[in-house]
Amino acid sequence: MKRIFSISILAVLSCNFLQAQNKQILYDFNEIPQSLMVNPGVESDFKWYTGIPMISGISGYAGSNGVSVNDIFAEDGLDINDKVRNRMVYGMGRRDEFSVNVQLEILNIGFRSGNPNLFYSGGAYLEFDNITYWPRDYAQLIFDGNADQLNRRFNLGDLKTRGSLVAVYHLGVNKKVDNSLTIGARGKLYSGIVDYNSTRNSGYLVNTEGQNNILNTTLNADLQLRTSGFGQLDEASDNGTTGNTLIKRALFGGDLGLGVDLGFSYRLNEQTVFTASVLDLGFIYHSGDTQNYSLNGIASSEGIQINVLRELSNLNRDYWQDLVDEIEELVPFEENNSAYLTFRPTKVNASLRYDFGAPKGSAEDCDCTTDPSGGNSPRIAYRNSVGGHLFLINRPRGPQAAITGFYMRRLGNILAVKATYTADKFSYTNLGFGLNLQAGPINLYAIADNLLSYRNMAASNYASFQLGLNIISWDRK
Amino acid sequence: MIVLRKIGLLFVGLVLLFSCSDKQDFGQYDDLTITPTFETSIFYVKTQESIINRVTGISFFTQDFNFDAFEEDIFAERVLEGSITYELENTTSKEIEITIEFLNENGDVLDTEFFQMDAAPTALLTRVVAYGGADKSLDILRNTSQVRLSARNLGDNTSTSNLPDPAIELRSIAKFTVRVK
Repeated sequence: MKRIFSISILAVLSCNFLQAQNKQILYDFNEIPQSLMVNPGVESDFKWYTGIPMISGISGYAGSNGVSVNDIFAEDGLDINDKVRNRMVYGMGRRDEFSVNVQLEILNIGFRSGNPNLFYSGGAYLEFDNITYWPRDYAQLIFDGNADQLNRRFNLGDLKTRGSLVAVYHLGVNKKVDNSLTIGARGKLYSGIVDYNSTRNSGYLVNTEGQNNILNTTLNADLQLRTSGFGQLDEASDNGTTGNTLIKRALFGGDLGLGVDLGFSYRLNEQTVFTASVLDLGFIYHSGDTQNYSLNGIASSEGIQINVLRELSNLNRDYWQDLVDEIEELVPFEENNSAYLTFRPTKVNASLRYDFGAPKGSAEDCDCTTDPSGGNSPRIAYRNSVGGHLFLINRPRGPQAAITGFYMRRLGNILAVKATYTADKFSYTNLGFGLNLQAGPINLYAIADNLLSYRNMAASNYASFQLGLNIISWDRK
Repeated sequence: MIVLRKIGLLFVGLVLLFSCSDKQDFGQYDDLTITPTFETSIFYVKTQESIINRVTGISFFTQDFNFDAFEEDIFAERVLEGSITYELENTTSKEIEITIEFLNENGDVLDTEFFQMDAAPTALLTRVVAYGGADKSLDILRNTSQVRLSARNLGDNTSTSNLPDPAIELRSIAKFTVRVK
């Protein structure tokens, strides 16, 4: 118990050191092949590329908008009990969250077809995703109990969490329709390894004045936890075959699902581009190794009640056990193995970019250059870009948004850098920086987020990094 | 390739190198205590005056009830202190005595609470019995398996109170602090 609690607290708080599902720096950074993963309709000009397996794309995200490690563990002379009580138990609301997302690319390749306007890409990656909202009333009940809180309803709906570990296999196509429009789509096959979710909870616990006894305690519960994959992993852990089981479930031996990414880039004029994408529009069907738990019903109790006149002939019965049985019957805790469906956390991106400045890699006497990707209708590539980006993600308590302003600079054909400012529920001071280095056929990118937080990382509510290594064709299409 | 890999590592290293953090003390976690206090009703007994009048002799009611609530591990292993509050109401025409005994599995008496009330009209009798610390031992509750309730009629067997639904009612709530961490 102590260990589980310790791990939970530390895991939740240490989330602050990682980074997010919002890949605002990577988005529309079309020098990086992985930008196709956040918009399959990005304007790409690669002839081919291949990511270095396992290191072509590593990204992680975690955020906590309500509390940071520093808030609780800073060596500030304050009593940790006061800090937890004031900053978490009574300082956080039910919309505050702890979320984590980690992606590890296993394989990512792309190549241009015989038709130079078509570019195909595909690969596989592992994704772990979790979001847990702060269970405010549960926390207050656990810290202070229900004593002296007559008529206070502890909201059992405060429990909202979901998470999954999924292997994703994808195949995408990117098509340049004309000089203005590029569209793309990516089909995804999900192979669910583990999943847990408890998002449709409601009910309350309350003490009211009793009719006969002093207090009446009412439990009105509609709670559900659905899990998949843990049974096989438990068994594998006992047998020492965890690795094999993970691989088997990652290779379509677990839960299966389908999804799609869609996106486009549209040039409003020579220098202005509007892009948008929707990612992970899909579902996973969980079956085979599901274990679901529920607590559903309403029970009120004023304790053991004995009305001697009414029960004169039955006073020897076991009142305590009858009370326990009655409550368990009214609010049964049940388990089942029913299959269930989950929808992926769908993301939406949109950006508006304005290109300007001196030409990129051209001696032409203008502030522009012709991009060789244009084929018969060459596009113009500028050295500088500035714009805005909007990100939305579907969450159990409704969509969350982030808005970003960015500036991008291309330094020759070797280096491109991008700086961003992002505002979202985690931070209003999120400055990010991305760097893409093209050394011959080798492409290296590195992205870091919420840079100001590095002044005191423990106090950060959000930070991120992405790294990757690719081999890209010398010549473009 | 190796050079570029090193560049990547260098990037991460530089980020970490130039990042700072206030000094953290994760050992504080050991000082965190979570000790909520819960309360709920435990038992209610109502004996009507008509029942009392039917029984000849002083003792009109004695009954042992199974009561395992305090023996449950979740309570017995974590309880720190607390109290049981009794409310006794007498609307009958008789002076009465109530005895509550806490018994262990073998039927041995661990503790006794005694109440005496005059005939109606009389005020509500409220008593808070504290357990833990300098008060009564929590072991009384931890080892309680049964509760014996006894009632004695110190009045007559014929009179009837003119109050509505005359009866003796015993109400009780338990309020205990437990250690979660």
